[in-house]
Amino acid sequence: MIYLYWYLGVGVCIVLPFVVRSRILKKDDLPTANDLLEALQPERKSLWYRLRSNVLAPLLTGLLVVPFWPFVVYLKVQDMVLGKHEASNLEEPKFAVVRADLLERVSIAEIEQCERVFDPLSAVPDLPFGHLNTAWRKFLEDMTPDAEMWTFSAHWTDWGSKELRRGYVMVRGNVIGPYFLTTRKDVDEGDVAQVGTLRTGIPGWLQRHAD
Amino acid sequence: MPFVAHFLIGKFLLAMTAQIAETLFYKGEQLSMCTTPLDDYFAFGGEHPKFESNCTALWRGYVGTWEIIGGRLYLVGLEGTLESGDDASLASVFPDFPDRVFGHWYSGTIRIPQGKLLEYVHMGYGSTYERDLFLEIEKGAVTSTRLRQNGINESEEAPEGYGIGGMTVFHRTPKNGEDDT
Repeated sequence: MIYLYWYLGVGVCIVLPFVVRSRILKKDDLPTANDLLEALQPERKSLWYRLRSNVLAPLLTGLLVVPFWPFVVYLKVQDMVLGKHEASNLEEPKFAVVRADLLERVSIAEIEQCERVFDPLSAVPDLPFGHLNTAWRKFLEDMTPDAEMWTFSAHWTDWGSKELRRGYVMVRGNVIGPYFLTTRKDVDEGDVAQVGTLRTGIPGWLQRHAD
Repeated sequence: MPFVAHFLIGKFLLAMTAQIAETLFYKGEQLSMCTTPLDDYFAFGGEHPKFESNCTALWRGYVGTWEIIGGRLYLVGLEGTLESGDDASLASVFPDFPDRVFGHWYSGTIRIPQGKLLEYVHMGYGSTYERDLFLEIEKGAVTSTRLRQNGINESEEAPEGYGIGGMTVFHRTPKNGEDDT
């Protein structure tokens, strides 16, 4: 019997730090996250919900975990070993131009001549890239004498939505630098299959329509 | 944990409400437009003032009014609230063009749902209506239009035209201890 007490005692000693840690993390949690969750689910504000979520659920979980503490230790070790790797997988992939996306080398003068915007109602400044001229000039601040400017066309999967992206990118030797986007539009599956440079992402209609 | 919470809220929960459409004046009609061309302007590096989102049906924080004039797409109005508490207008984004802005940056498809509701989806612009009018835009100019028939709703009680089923309005935080009225 004494061995059982020892076994359960070890379980309690293991569970307690987890409980304390989770309480501390909850305090550090983003306040906007709680606000949003409460806004989306108003019942979260009720006393019964708070009692269930803050007292009953942790208590029952703790009681369940005590007899199975070796399994908790196993999960924790696994989490520590694989945790970093899994966290990096959760990060949203970031678009970048690759060498296969490059089309042709162009000069800044050619670009600025080609990207001048005309409007019969004069609802755009008579400058390269029109309303985006400030962004273009800011982009050019990174241009160095050794850099080349190239046009690019790439496909990108943004939240599951396949997009065609076009624009201009700075290339320094073998290094592909910052880019200036001029087109971003959804494409059909067939078009994407022909071009090829597909990258993984997360459902885009969510972001596009609800951001 | 904060990272996971941020990820979940940023990428999923925020989309859990049907979104208010943009307004489009096209061929003398006022239509609901389920496309947000101004998103591309911001994505391409255009000036992006911080909008305040005060309800779950308008996470982008503004509603743009657009018009097709002479086969070209123009932004002719903008409503919303800035984080500073001031009302947003076209001049908030385009100070030198407070009345009309040519949407030359936009290339893509504009979706205009029409007719009765077939299936309501309380997320993004996911609901399906009897018809979808698509305008293909290339650098702000309309290149083609097409109409897609999605089905017919024979119920007389079915709602007509784009709408959202519900939303949660956030209470605005009073500034400097003042009461919010």
